[in-house]
Amino acid sequence: MTDPFEALRSPAVGIEAVAIDPDPDFAARLRARIERALDQPGGPPMSEVTFDPDADQGHQPVPELTPPRHGDVGYVSLWVPDVERAAAFFSAVLGWRYAPAGGPRERQVEGTARPHGLWGGQERSTLFLCFAVDDIEAVLERVESGGGRAGRARREPYGVVADCADDQGMPFALVESAGSREPRPAPRPPAAAGTAHGDLAYITMEVVDSGHARTFYGSVLGWRYSPGHAEGGWEVEDVAPMVGMIGGAGTATIVPMYRVDDVAGAVDRVRAAGGTATDPERQPYGVTSSCVDDQGTRFYLGEL
Amino acid sequence: MLDLYDTALPRVYGYLLSRCGRAALAEDLTAETFLAAVDAAGRDHPPTMTVPWIVGVARHKLVDHWRRQGRDDANMRALVDTAPPPEDPWDAELDLVCAHDTLARLAPHHRAALTLRYLDDLPVKEVAELLDRTVHATEALLVRARIAFRRAYEEVGTRD
Repeated sequence: MTDPFEALRSPAVGIEAVAIDPDPDFAARLRARIERALDQPGGPPMSEVTFDPDADQGHQPVPELTPPRHGDVGYVSLWVPDVERAAAFFSAVLGWRYAPAGGPRERQVEGTARPHGLWGGQERSTLFLCFAVDDIEAVLERVESGGGRAGRARREPYGVVADCADDQGMPFALVESAGSREPRPAPRPPAAAGTAHGDLAYITMEVVDSGHARTFYGSVLGWRYSPGHAEGGWEVEDVAPMVGMIGGAGTATIVPMYRVDDVAGAVDRVRAAGGTATDPERQPYGVTSSCVDDQGTRFYLGEL
Repeated sequence: MLDLYDTALPRVYGYLLSRCGRAALAEDLTAETFLAAVDAAGRDHPPTMTVPWIVGVARHKLVDHWRRQGRDDANMRALVDTAPPPEDPWDAELDLVCAHDTLARLAPHHRAALTLRYLDDLPVKEVAELLDRTVHATEALLVRARIAFRRAYEEVGTRD
């Protein structure tokens, strides 16, 4: 008996026979994009899946940053239900501009200090973190032995990546790239995450069980902690961008803080765009507001 | 690089369009493929840039697409189903148009497995590597995918 599925392999559809000319306008646009990308010393604008810690991000001049080191957050993506809506909202509030990314549900924010994506189609909003690591196979073993789920490492043009989840089920990713294998240099300034309006300044990991999470990320990434400003909160020592962790959440959520030049003006823009924002409040480290966008995405603004 | 673009574009686009069936998505994935190639060309040890190499990059982009699509798809849960798969002998002559219609209606993980195994004619081991699974799990996935395909195919058949 022949396998009926063999029929799918007919030369009409087999890989050797397929050559289709795309729409000429598309072909010309993409050719121009490739030419531009070839001209840029840092390579092409990044998409969700082409994270490259060494590449320059966009058209604005970006301050020189050291590449992410082991344990740093190398790449983030804001997961939201509706990517179009989020793109419009954050463009209005933070002035974000976007490069085309891999698919209709993705955006790549241009000009941020670290690569930042937007990714739609999620049930609820959170910030997805991709950690830079020096030896991905060793880290994956520690993910498994720590009770997490370790995906298989796969090679991409920008490094070796793997999708994982922690021992409480929260997804994250790992990337091993040339920069993250370098030995750790001398201590760096605390603002190593970027200093411009719209940059990610601080990450709050709201987890279900803070003790478990600290043990897990401590073992996987070598994170060490000191008590934070908030009661029951912890600061991760010497990571960029800065990360805080607090327990007691019903569902783990990661909340970004974006740097703004003028928090009062940004609060007005949040409200005008259909979101909510608390009145600016002075903290020891700057003036902040706690915000929610028009589809339930929580974030902070910080004039730092 | 631009020479490679001119030569390889119809092959990359043709490959992606015939696998995903939607022009807009094929264009997105084509752009992603070539920009990844530009990126790779700028590395210290660039790979040899040939048409088969870049079609391979396109295949990875397609698998990534299905993976993203599958992430919020409840059907992904089926992947951890460890029950032994049932037998699936099936003797039928496939109508190719109908068959491609059927493929497009399957869940992303089933579609990915069947496309790589049958349309791309890859050995199970390579399918397993692309889908980030063991060979054993991939064989089980293929059995379930064939069963899902058969059900959907027969539905398409009886609908007409």
